[in-house]
Parts: sequence; structure tokens; C-alpha cells
Amino acid sequence: MKWRVAALFPLILILFLPLAPKTSQGEWVGQSRCLVCHGKREYRFYKKGGYAKNLYVSLEELRASVHKEKFCSDCHTDVVELPHRGTPSRVSCTTCHYKGNPEGAPQLDAYLEYERSIHGLEAKEGNPDAPLCQDCHGSHNVRPPEDPLSTVNKRNVARTCGKCHIDIYAEFRTSIHGVAVARGVEDAPSCPDCHGEHNILEPTNPESTVYPSHVPTQCSKCHAREAIREKYGIKAEPVKTYRESFHGVAIEFGARTVANCASCHGTHDIRPPEDPLSSVNPENIPKTCGKCHPGATPKFAEGKIHIDPTKKEAGAVYYVASFFKYLTITTMLGLICHILLDLYGRVRRMRRKERMR
Amino acid sequence: MSSREKELIDLLVKEAEDEFLRTAGDLPPEELERIRQKVRERARAEAEREVRRLLRKREEEEKRERERVEEEEEYFIRFNRNFRFQHMVLFTSVIILIITGLPLKFPDFALSRWLMSLWGGVKYSTVIHRIGATMLIYFMVHHLLYTLLSRDGRRDFIMLIPTPKDFRDFFQNIRYFVGKTEDPPKFDRFSYIEKFDYWAVYWGCVIMIGSGLILWFEETAMKFLPKFWVDMAHEAHSDEALLATLAIVIWHFYNVHFNPDRFPGTLLWWHGKISKEEMLKEHPLEYERIMAERARRKEAGEEGRQ
Repeated sequence: MKWRVAALFPLILILFLPLAPKTSQGEWVGQSRCLVCHGKREYRFYKKGGYAKNLYVSLEELRASVHKEKFCSDCHTDVVELPHRGTPSRVSCTTCHYKGNPEGAPQLDAYLEYERSIHGLEAKEGNPDAPLCQDCHGSHNVRPPEDPLSTVNKRNVARTCGKCHIDIYAEFRTSIHGVAVARGVEDAPSCPDCHGEHNILEPTNPESTVYPSHVPTQCSKCHAREAIREKYGIKAEPVKTYRESFHGVAIEFGARTVANCASCHGTHDIRPPEDPLSSVNPENIPKTCGKCHPGATPKFAEGKIHIDPTKKEAGAVYYVASFFKYLTITTMLGLICHILLDLYGRVRRMRRKERMR
Repeated sequence: MSSREKELIDLLVKEAEDEFLRTAGDLPPEELERIRQKVRERARAEAEREVRRLLRKREEEEKRERERVEEEEEYFIRFNRNFRFQHMVLFTSVIILIITGLPLKFPDFALSRWLMSLWGGVKYSTVIHRIGATMLIYFMVHHLLYTLLSRDGRRDFIMLIPTPKDFRDFFQNIRYFVGKTEDPPKFDRFSYIEKFDYWAVYWGCVIMIGSGLILWFEETAMKFLPKFWVDMAHEAHSDEALLATLAIVIWHFYNVHFNPDRFPGTLLWWHGKISKEEMLKEHPLEYERIMAERARRKEAGEEGRQ
């Protein structure tokens, strides 16, 4: 019995081991060994071709991040001696961020979607440009997304994506959505609102949120909402009218060549119709429609696009729809009455014949 | 054998006897009498056989003629072959147009989804729809030429023009339905119901083909027309399609197939024949007219023979 209790001792010790190096201000002093070099602002590594990589690490930045209690070597696990030999490999966040980790490092299933995403697949294939966690979330300055200084905060995320997707960022910045995001409009979408976060797929992937047939669904997340439309003064019901139009119905039935929202309004460069640069500005309509309808004339701009035939704002179309509505109702009522009267007459005559027998 | 035939036989026998006497020359009287007797017997037998043959032949002819008349009286050809062909083209194209077109108007129905998947999506259904449209346009052209060039077509078109009698018929029919009168209206070749169907197809074809062509060649159309014209065409096309479908399925089908007289349906559209019974009930005026016409022709024919 006694030896069993004795055997438990080391076990209990092991259990409490992770708590042992209690972090404190004193421990950071230990980090100063790294900061001997990395604490210098002008500490750089010159690559071939004159490109310089800044190797400065701001201790203040790290202390303000979510990893303020971590040591350098907690993430840079391959640095075992100082000065380290060669370039340390890129940090793997999954060292801590895995399910059931004793550190309490957050781990959501959403993170795992990264592996299936275009970024994850490219990284797996060894594309050096493919982003890892730290490319978006920051390395020493990881902050919670709600933090206005976080690289993945709504106001900053487009710029973060723009580190690689610079052309698209340039388009987005001046679009109606980009301007609104920069002004701090909470409802306005930034990159992840349409493309997803960890699960970004290629637009050509049929499962992608921005695959052509999914585009209306993405846009409708906001533009089908009454509250949003009222708040921002969007008069037409863009999603409903699109869904009822031939374009909308055809896309529902699997057409791939038919226009979705983005075909006309653009994707990253969406601008209000009043903007002369907008693809749906009346001046630009012939060109925009002409992408699919060769030889589109300025006549394409004569008349509203998003029309609800049941509303008076639809103009002539409303009167055509009303005419047919009442024509159909009166005609069919008349014809059905005639049929019912005919049947009534037949039944009446049949009964009378039976009575007379 | 009637007395007329007997007389004929006697005449033939007498002729043969006379011929014999003229050529006999001078024979001894007993011999002459014996041969004369034989000639007479032989001539009678032959004449009788010949007359019987002729009689049988005439009887057969008369029987055939009687059968022909009977058959004609039992059935009337209501729709000629050309008209039946037009109707088949029309309903084939309309069915094609409905099953490829209406799913676009009601995309949320399960049936619509099923139909569209049947065609392989909107990419192919639109092609099938245009095939149907071509058939309908062909029908329209064919029918217009038929109306202009064919005698039956011109006659039918004139008889299809609404007249005040149609309004009287309509009110009388309603009165008949509710029991205010015992006499149903007497229709001619086309009742007001059939006239309504005919002009409804005219109206439908004009609207559907007109708006359909704008939508088919919208890029060309919008070289001349503003966009809201195309929108109006789209709205009219979609709404008239529904009205036409309802009118066909409810009204036309009830009147020609599903009403208790005809249930579960008629093959008139296939063979084009209508029975005397139906003719008397549904088109008594036409029946009377045809009968009067026949009688007049018969009379005229007999006069011509005399």
C-alpha cells in the first residue's frame, strides 16, 4: 500500500509542473537575453537583393498582446541556445492552440477550417507566400479581434489582407463598403464578411461563399434586411427584385453564365450609382450590361433595373402587371362561374328526371 | 320478279321467236312448230337468267349506296385533316412552352424544380422553350394562310366572328342552367364558348409571340426600345402565360373533355368525327343546315338526271 502512495507523489508533481514557472515581472528580465539583440530598433537582417527584414521586437508590443505572459522560447521552440544558429523556423501556433491544451490557449473548430481553406492548402503545398496564423493575427502583437488595434479588427482587417492582396485592397478602400468601414460603420462589410475567415475558399470552388451562385446569398445577408435598407436609404428591394428577375431565377436553376449582384455592381469596387465611377452609373450601364449582352446601347439605362411590378414605383411595368392581374381574376372568375352553373344545371335536371320516374 | 321484268322477258322471247321465223325458211309445219317451241324455251331461260343477274347487281348497288348514306348520317366530319394537324401543332407547342416556361414564374415550387432538373437546368430549358416558340409561330403562320387560302378556313373564320346571337345564346344558356327555361340555346357550327376559345388563342398568340420575340432578341430590341419596354414585355409574357394556362386547363378542358357528357375525354381532336347524336345536341343549327343542303343537292341531282 505504502509504495503505491509513494508512486503517486511524482505523478502529482508532474501534474502541477505547468504551474511551476509562475510568470512575473522578474521573468521578463530573463527575456532581456533575447532583447540584447532583438531589442535594438535598427536590428536588421539584409537579404539578397537589398531587402531588409526588421528583426526588432518591441517588448511593449508583446506585453500589450494576448501573449503578454509568454516567454520568447514558448513560441520559438527551436531556439535552444543563444545566440541561435541560423534562422529559426516560423512559429507554429498549434504548439499551444490545440484542443484540450493545458495552457488554456483558445481553440475553436473554426481554426481547423484553415486547413481546408485556400490559404491552408497553399501552405501545405509549400507556397512560401501562403499566410500562416501570424500573417493575419500578428506575431508579437496578437490582440483579441475586438481590440481596435488588432490586425483582424474590422477596421484593420482589410489592410491586413491587403498586405498580400494589394490591388484588391486599393479597390476596396475607395468602394462604398471600404469608405464606410473606415468611417467606423459597424454594418459595413470588410473582407471576411463575404469571404469568410479561416475557411476562405477559392471563388471558383462551388462551396465558396463567393462562388457565383452564392453571391446573392452573401449580399442578401445585409441587403435583404429591412432595417439596413431603411437605415441607409436603399429604396428598391434589391434582393427580392433580383430573385424574381430572370437573372435571379436562372441562377436559382443552376445557370452559371447569368448575372449575379457582383456582375453588375462589381465586387471590391462597389460604388453608389450616383458615383460616376460606379459600374451601375447610368453612363456606365451600356458598358456593364455589354459584358454579357454584346452591343448594349444607352437604351439599357432607360428604366429601372430593380423593379417590383407590384409597386407603383415600377412605372409602366406596374400598369401592365395590374392590367393582367385584373384580367386574369375577372376572366377566370367568369369562366369558373360558367362551369359551376353548367354543373349545377346538369345536377338539377338529373334530379328532376329521377323524381319524375 | 315484278310484272315489269316478266314483260321484259316475254318481249325478249318474242323477239327471239320472230328472228327464228324470219330465218327459218320453208320447213315442214310440224318440224317448224317443234323447233319454235325449243327456241322459245331456250330464249326464256336465257332471258330469265340475264334479268336475274341484272336485278342482283342492282340490288347490291342499292345496298352499298344505302350503307354509304347511313354512315354519312351517323358521323359528320367536324374538323378536317388540316385543321386537326394545326391543333396538334398548337397543343404540342403550348405544352412544351408551359412546362419549360412556368417553372420560371414559380421557381419555389417543388414541381418547378423537378421540371427544371428534368431539362438539365435553365441552360437547356430555354433552348426547348425556343423550339416550342418556333412551333407556335409556325402554327400562327399556317393558320393565317389556312384562313386566307382554304375554303373551309374562310368559312370557319366567318362563322367564328361573334354575332348578337352569341350574346343571346349566352344569356339563354345561363337561364337554362339555372332552370328559368327548358330550352338550351341552339348553336350553329361554333357556340359562343368555342368562339371565346378561338379568340382567346388569337389574343394569347399575339401577346405571347410579340412579347416573346422581344425577350428572345432583347439585345436587338433594345437598340430601338428603352429597357422598360423589355420589362413590360417580360411582365406581359409571364402574366399572359399564367392566364392562358389556367384558361386551357380549367375552361377548355372542362368544355371539351371533363364535362359529364364527355368524361373522361374525347378523341375528336384525333379523328375529327362527331356523331349525329352529339351534332343534334351541340350544333343543331349546323345539323339542320347540312341536312337541308343535302336535300337540296339531291333534288338538284335528280332534276339533272331527268
